[in-house]
Amino acid sequence: MNNTNRALNRTLLLIIGLLFLALGALGIAIMSWPTLSDIWAAAGENARSWLDQAIAATAIAGGGLSWIGIGAVVAIVVVIVLLILALTSIAGRRSKTVLRSTGAQNPLGRVTVNESFVSDAVKNSLTTRDEVLSAQVTANDVRRSPVLHVSVTPRQNTDPRELVDHVDRLLANLAVLTGRDTETFVSVHTSLRARLAHDQRRLS
Amino acid sequence: MSTPVLRRVIRRETHSPRTVAMFVAVILLILALAYIGLEIVLSLAAQPALLVGPAAAGGWLIGLPTAQPAGLVIAGSVVLALIGLIFIVLAVTPGRLSRHVLDAGGRAVVVDNGVIASALAQHLTEETGLTRDSITVGVGHRTVDVTVRPGIGIPLDKADVQAAAEAELQTYRLARRVRTRVRIERPAEKEDDL
Repeated sequence: MNNTNRALNRTLLLIIGLLFLALGALGIAIMSWPTLSDIWAAAGENARSWLDQAIAATAIAGGGLSWIGIGAVVAIVVVIVLLILALTSIAGRRSKTVLRSTGAQNPLGRVTVNESFVSDAVKNSLTTRDEVLSAQVTANDVRRSPVLHVSVTPRQNTDPRELVDHVDRLLANLAVLTGRDTETFVSVHTSLRARLAHDQRRLS
Repeated sequence: MSTPVLRRVIRRETHSPRTVAMFVAVILLILALAYIGLEIVLSLAAQPALLVGPAAAGGWLIGLPTAQPAGLVIAGSVVLALIGLIFIVLAVTPGRLSRHVLDAGGRAVVVDNGVIASALAQHLTEETGLTRDSITVGVGHRTVDVTVRPGIGIPLDKADVQAAAEAELQTYRLARRVRTRVRIERPAEKEDDL
């Protein structure tokens, strides 16, 4: 699971969608409604004369440059930079977390179990099962609390309940071993590999 | 999966993030803005326009109602409006993914519909004694469609298949109740065959 800001995704999509729809609807309206065509032409002429005056008033040292033009370019650059920032901030940012479980101090010392141990233990245990094609275990931060994600791709025709119950038992055993029952999310997937693979492991 | 953290995980894993659509929309907007910005810069530097300079573009926009060919302008506007509408629909619809949530005590479990479908089809194959190819299962958010093609002369009761499918689905403990629809398809017997 990643921490993509979904609200930002949908807000941007909505704003851009509304912008496109408004422009498209305006184009259709002024092409097919004479009253609006006249209003459009008159408003356009007014806007052009205002813009010409504004450009002349803000001309830099009597040359071809004007502050209006520079302002427009700066505004466009700022919007583009903001859009690029939005793109980079939401593109698949994964919140990796280090899962660390420290047991109580005992006469022999203290045992600390980290994410890679949990991940390898669960993964290795799952991949020894015939019905499991692949398994992946990661730890993520969700609302500042660690969540273990066990992702399993079984062979076709595998009973999902049996598989989930097995994962549950495995995690419960691990929790006893490590002294910490981390919140866990299990996802069972199908994939092209699952569809192409034989539904039983070949023995030879 | 009663904790807020797992509820959030379930919500995120069963709904589309709309990242691809947002990416396309933002890239389109960036390209349009970059082009406009480039034309303004070229105009400020008194260089020839790439396609249309700002002054000419402004003039074209003012004269849009009389622009020719009008059909092309209307078609372009319709396409723009449709793209906008698609983006709006994508932004406001939930975008549920084809996955089901399974009840699993303190854990959050999400299973692809394809996994449920193939497991159910396999179970029905064992129950009915038919070949795996004769059974097709489609799993949706609210319904499970089972199509069985038993072949000529093989007796099969629809109610039995329905009961077997429902009993198997019960064992999966899906969080959302689904309706099971069973269809028995028999090949038409050719009476005029000699």
